[in-house]
Amino acid sequence: MCLVRFALANIRRRPERFVLSVLGIALAIACVTVVRTISASFAITGADSVTEVLGSAQLWAVPAAGVHYDNDAQALVADGAAPTITVPAGWTAIRILSGVTEINGSTVSLRGSDEIAGGQATLGSEVADRLGLHSGDRVVVGGQSLAVNLDGRGQSITVATPLAKSVVGDNGWVTIFAPAGEEKRRDLGQIFGGAVGLASTSDPSVKPDPNGGGLIYDTVGGNGPLTFEQKFSALFSGKVTSSTLGLISTIGLALGFVIAVSSFLAAVQERRREFGIMSSIGLADEVLYFFLVESGIVFLTAYLVGVIGAGAAVALVIPGIATPTAWLQAAGMVAAFLPAMAIVGALVPVHRLLQQRPVSLLGDT
Amino acid sequence: MLRKGLSYGWLAARRRIREMVLPVVTTATGAFLVVIVFGMSDGIRAQSASLGHAEEISRAVVLIAVTVLLVGVVEVAVATTRTVAHRTRELGVLGANGVPRRPVVAALLVEPVIAALLGALVGALLAAATGMVLGAVGLAATGVSVEGLILGAAISIGVSIVAALATSIVPTWNAASRPPIRSLTAGG
Repeated sequence: MCLVRFALANIRRRPERFVLSVLGIALAIACVTVVRTISASFAITGADSVTEVLGSAQLWAVPAAGVHYDNDAQALVADGAAPTITVPAGWTAIRILSGVTEINGSTVSLRGSDEIAGGQATLGSEVADRLGLHSGDRVVVGGQSLAVNLDGRGQSITVATPLAKSVVGDNGWVTIFAPAGEEKRRDLGQIFGGAVGLASTSDPSVKPDPNGGGLIYDTVGGNGPLTFEQKFSALFSGKVTSSTLGLISTIGLALGFVIAVSSFLAAVQERRREFGIMSSIGLADEVLYFFLVESGIVFLTAYLVGVIGAGAAVALVIPGIATPTAWLQAAGMVAAFLPAMAIVGALVPVHRLLQQRPVSLLGDT
Repeated sequence: MLRKGLSYGWLAARRRIREMVLPVVTTATGAFLVVIVFGMSDGIRAQSASLGHAEEISRAVVLIAVTVLLVGVVEVAVATTRTVAHRTRELGVLGANGVPRRPVVAALLVEPVIAALLGALVGALLAAATGMVLGAVGLAATGVSVEGLILGAAISIGVSIVAALATSIVPTWNAASRPPIRSLTAGG
């Protein structure tokens, strides 16, 4: 408590420097938070899109041509015909046709399933909102008028397989369910892949061999603590963090850190005599604590200002991408590396100070 | 009197050119990014399109580049607080000799303006050179727009000077408003 009061007294002594340090770091934090908000939004989109595809299936067999996320349809879409699989006994495989179609001028993900009756179209709530459709309405797909049913949150319209085939051809994938009692096995991909002659992986960044028969993604197996959905969503967020946006915000954060260190160095320079007195009576460690607390206050204030500023900026500039959840995730992510910056930012100037003998600190102006 | 203040500030700034290196570098970094972002806006728009939401992401890139420029300019103001602290006694002497506040403030603001201008110019020139080289060797697939580079340079110079003045005015005004006796007896 005493350290906090001392730090606050020093801040009051040079309020303009505190404001400038906070402003510099806050702007840098705002940059990173904006980019992280965008990347978190993309990650949520990626996780939602793959969850919509997989449901509770353990394996996902994709075509040799692969699958891609269609920005207009806002869903995963197959790029080729689903792999041909002879399902071993005990396993369940559901062939889903996948492509895009135009409805009322909007590009929409269209899927075909044997579980949907003719004359029916099952819409996720998000695509229903986007198209302004409600349960019981009619929608025209492939020239046929279908009754709308709402089910789940997704961005796809699912219709009967023959109708989907007439629109998207054979493009699609297969979702596979393990035999009862074996759903948690971590080698399901290998077992099923070996039985049907397809390669398997638990890494969503691995693309199928274009000349092969397809690839099985194992959503249960694999090493490491991340789930398949988390790894898949990381591919989406990685696109943002490795883009121009990510690069610029990282440079901004580095500049913010330079400003913090520069400001602390200036404060150290001005208070050499004060710290000389403290060092000469054996309070050298306390000098470090004072700076750590002061740095903590500066970074915490800058964090609050930066994160709130970033929230306002994303709401005004990119309302279509950012969501409050993504902003909160970004704020959490930025908070994770802030303590390290605050500690290093305080240590660098104090280390330089404590390298000198107390008498030389007292002698200088 | 204001002209004399500016001349005095110019002489002092020339003497303290080494202290301006860090603010010039940070401002130049920000200006470099702004000019590159404007010069290569087509390429950034193409990259944004591959991520979806092309317009919004392009807007976010410009917003973040300008914010990074502001971060760089804040270092100019931090350097000004350092200058003011070093020159406390000098300010006391000026005050004690009856020099009014306005010329003193003008003299103190010359340094941040020069640092901001130099930083913006260095950053803009480097960015223009980088853009030209990238365009010439074909690394910028969508090309580099000369109009974009000029617009980016104008924005970075304008923003740098205005931001440097806005952030430096309070510390300099406070320093010039201090009673001369306090400035003369201060440690700095």
